Amino acid sequence: MSEDLIIGIAGSGGDGVISAGESLITAAALEGYHGVMTKSFGSQIRGGEASCRLRLATRPVLNPNGPLDVAVALNWEDFRRFGAELPVEAATIVIYESATGVAPDQLPLPGVKPAVVFSVPITAMAATHAGTDKAKNIVIAGLLAGWFGIGRESMLAGIRKKFAKKGAAVVEGNVRAFQAGLDFAAANPLKEDRKLSAPQSGGLTKLLTDGNDMCAAAAIFAGCTFFGGYPITPSTEIMQFLDREIWTYGGTVLQAEDEIAGIGAVVGASFAGKKAMTATSGPGMSLKTEMLGLASLAELPLVCVNVQRGGPSTGMPTKAEQSDLFQAAFSAHGDCLRPVLAPTSVADIFGVTVEAFNLAEYYQTPVIVLSDQEIAQRKETVDPIDTTKFQIIERRHPSGPELTNYARFKLTESGISPISHPGMLGGNYLAAGIEHNEQGRPTASGELHARMNEKRFNKFNPLKSRRDLFAVEGHPEAPIGMVSWGSVAGVAREALRLAQAEGLQVKLLVPQLLYPVAEPVYQDFFASVQRGLFIEQSYQAQLYRIVRMHVDLPAHVKAFAKSGSNPILPSEILERLREMVVAIQSGQPQSEPVEN
Amino acid sequence: MTTLEPPAKPISLAKFQAGDFKSDLKPIWCPGCGDFGVVTAITRALANIGRPPHEIAFVSGIGCSSRIPGYTTAYGFNTVHGRSLPIAQGINLANPELLVLVASGDGDGFSIGGGHVAHVIRRNIDITYIVMDNQIYGLTKGQLSPTSQRGRKTVTSSFGSLEDPVNPLLYVMGYGASYVAQGTPADMAGLARIIEEGIRFPGFAFINVQSPCVTYGQEDQQLKAHKANLQSLESLGHDPADRAKATELARAYGTKLYTGVLYRNPNPPPTYGQGVTERQEALKNKAVPRHEILNRFKPSK
Repeated sequence: MSEDLIIGIAGSGGDGVISAGESLITAAALEGYHGVMTKSFGSQIRGGEASCRLRLATRPVLNPNGPLDVAVALNWEDFRRFGAELPVEAATIVIYESATGVAPDQLPLPGVKPAVVFSVPITAMAATHAGTDKAKNIVIAGLLAGWFGIGRESMLAGIRKKFAKKGAAVVEGNVRAFQAGLDFAAANPLKEDRKLSAPQSGGLTKLLTDGNDMCAAAAIFAGCTFFGGYPITPSTEIMQFLDREIWTYGGTVLQAEDEIAGIGAVVGASFAGKKAMTATSGPGMSLKTEMLGLASLAELPLVCVNVQRGGPSTGMPTKAEQSDLFQAAFSAHGDCLRPVLAPTSVADIFGVTVEAFNLAEYYQTPVIVLSDQEIAQRKETVDPIDTTKFQIIERRHPSGPELTNYARFKLTESGISPISHPGMLGGNYLAAGIEHNEQGRPTASGELHARMNEKRFNKFNPLKSRRDLFAVEGHPEAPIGMVSWGSVAGVAREALRLAQAEGLQVKLLVPQLLYPVAEPVYQDFFASVQRGLFIEQSYQAQLYRIVRMHVDLPAHVKAFAKSGSNPILPSEILERLREMVVAIQSGQPQSEPVEN
Repeated sequence: MTTLEPPAKPISLAKFQAGDFKSDLKPIWCPGCGDFGVVTAITRALANIGRPPHEIAFVSGIGCSSRIPGYTTAYGFNTVHGRSLPIAQGINLANPELLVLVASGDGDGFSIGGGHVAHVIRRNIDITYIVMDNQIYGLTKGQLSPTSQRGRKTVTSSFGSLEDPVNPLLYVMGYGASYVAQGTPADMAGLARIIEEGIRFPGFAFINVQSPCVTYGQEDQQLKAHKANLQSLESLGHDPADRAKATELARAYGTKLYTGVLYRNPNPPPTYGQGVTERQEALKNKAVPRHEILNRFKPSK
C-alpha cells in the first residue's frame, strides 16, 4: 500500500496530459485524499510539450516534492525536456507509449535503470475502445486508477459528466477507454501492491482549486468591489475569476490599457471609498511602483498581488521564484513603508488575502501579497475553510464631530486619521502625492514633512507584534532553526517532519508577514538557536538579507537559496540539518555559507 | 446660440455661486497666468450645474495646471505626472454618481500621459477633461512641450525644436471623442459655457484651453493676442454635429484660435459606466453570499 504517490505525466500539447492529471486529482479530492498538482509547459502557446506532477497522499501534502514514484511518458522527447522537473529514479515505476518503439530495457534515461517498466499501447487502446486517439488521457487515467487505486467510481462519474454534452456515444467510448486502462492494469499487476491506503480524513470531500482563484475568492469574501489590472503571466487568472464573479456584488473589473492604468484605477476607486485590488507579476510591479508611492503618501488602502516569477525583466514567466521581496519592501522612492504578506499554499492564500485587505483598510496603505507561480497555478486539495473565523475590517470613517473642520491627515496618537471619500458631506479634502499638512494642503515645510513621515511609519508599529502572522513549529527550544516563506515553506515543513522522525531537535519559523520585519519575533525564535538556515527560492536569499538588516542574527545562521525553477527538496534540507547537528555536537567552528 | 444637451446628471435644487467652489488656498501661479481664468471659468460652470462640492471629484496630474483642484472646494486629487485619467476613471467606475473633472496640461496630458487618452475615449468614460495648453513646461521652468511648435527655442531646444507638435484637437477627434471644444480665458463667458456643456455631456468631454504662460510663453500666445485673434465657431456658423467639418477645422490648431464647441456627437455611444451599472443590475440575482464563495471550489461528480 502507498501513503504518498508522486506521479509525473508528460507528452505533447494535444495529448491531454493536464486533463488526465486534473481528472485524477478531482477524483482524489472527492474521495478525501490530499493532493497537489503542478503543470509545466514549453513556451509555445499551443502544442509543444506539456507535463503535470501530481502528488496524492493520505495525509496533508505541502509541496510537489522530488523524484517520481510513477512516470508516464507519451513520448520520450517531450518527457526528457522537463529534466529536473520530472526526475526518474531506479525505484520509479515507468509507464510509456509502446508506439514509441523503445524497448523496455533501452529507455532513453541516461544513468537510470528503473526496475518496473510497462510498455503500453496507449494510443492503440484509445483508438480501439473510444474510436479516437484523443482518449489517450482517459486510458492513462484508467491505468493509474487500476494500479494505484485512485477513486475509480469518482473517475467514472467525472468522465460521464465531462463528455455528457458530446452525447451518449462519446461518453460510452470514453468509459470503455477508461475500463481498458483498468483491465490492462489488472492483467499486469504490480508485484508489490502500491494502491493508496484510505485517506486519514475519513473520506471527507475537499475543495479543489489553485492559488489565483483562491486569492480572487478571498478578495470577494473580504468585500473587494473593484479590480483594475492588465494581463500578465502567471497572475491573470485572478482577474479572470473576478470578472466572472465580482459584478454580482455590485463590483467592477477593468482590464486597463497598461499596468500603470490598472493600479491607477484602483487608487481612484479606493479614493472613492471602495475596497480595491490589482494583481500582476514582476514587470508589472516595476511599472506600478510610482502608484504605490502615491497610495502610501495619500494614505489610500489597496491590495496589490504580485504573483512572482523568475526575473529580472521578462525572466522566466512560467516558473516560480521568490526574488521580488526586495522590490516589494523597498521599491518606490522616498521614505516609505508598506506591509508585505506571503501565503505558503493555496489554502493559506485565502487568509493572507483577507488579512491584506484588513491591513490595507485599517492602516490606510497599499499592502503587497507576494504569491508565486507555484501557489498561483498549482491545483491543491483544501480542507473546507470556516469563513466565520475571519474578521473583516473596514476603513475608519470620520464621525459627525470629526467632519467639522475636517482634517484628513490629522496627527493622531495611532497615526491613523479618519478617512472620508467623495460624496461624504463635510469630508472634502485634497488628496495628493505632494506632502501636505493635516488638512491636506500642500506644504514645503521640513518640520511638517518629518512629522508626517513619523506618522506614516509609526502607524505600523502594532503590526510588529502580530505573532498570529507567524507560525513556529517544532521544539520551541531547539538549537537548530529554519526560516522559510511562500511556497518553499511547504518544503521546509516536510523537512521538519522528516527531521523530527529522525529525532533531530529542529524548529521552523514561517512568516506570513515579511515586511516590516517583526524584530521581536525573530529575536525570540533565534534565542535558542546555535545553527540556522533561511530556505528560499532566489539567488540572493532576500528574506535572509532583509532580516539581517533589522535583527542581529547568530553568526551561524546562513541561507540555503536556489534560483527559481531549481526545485528545493525536503531531502536536501534534511541533509543540511544533519550536518548542523554534527557541527553542534562536535563544536565545529562556523561552517561555510551554503548559499546558492 | 448654444443649445445644451439634456442634463446627464440630476440637478440639485440648491443654488450655488461660483465662490462656493473656490477654496481659500492661494494659487502658486505667476501673476497674469491664464490658469487663474480657468479656475474662475470652472467654478462658474459648476455653480450653474448646481451639484454640491462634496459630490465632485476633481483629479489632476502634475504641472502648473494640476494645482487647480486645490483651489476649489471639491474633493481634489492631485496625483502623479500623466496619470490623472486612469485615476479619474477608477473614481467614475467606483461611484458613477459623482461628477468627475480632470485637469491637465499639455505635457501631462499629451506627453507623459498621452497613452491614456485613447482608452478613456474609446471607453467613453463619463468625465470632463480640461487641458490647459500653454505649449511649454512652466513648472520646470521653460522646456519644450509636446505642443510647442517646430523650431521653437527653449532651454531644452537651444537651437530650435526638431519635431512637430501634437494637435490635441485632432488627436482626440482621431480616437473618436464625442465632445471636443476649445476655449481661452480671454473669453471667460465662452470658456465657462463650454466647460458647463462638457460636464452636462453624457460621456467623455474634452476641452482644450489655450491658457497662456506669462513667464515662458511667447507674445503671440498671450491673452491680449487671444482677444484679438480668437474666432468663435458659432460666429462662423459651424455645426458641431458635422464631424468632417470639425476635423477640418481642428487642423488649424496652432495657426488659428477657434473657440467653442468643435464637435458634439449627436448620437454618442453609451458610457462605460452605464454598461457597468446595467451588468451589475443584470447579474445581481446570481450572487451567492460572500461567505459561500468557496463553494465554487467544491468538486462535483
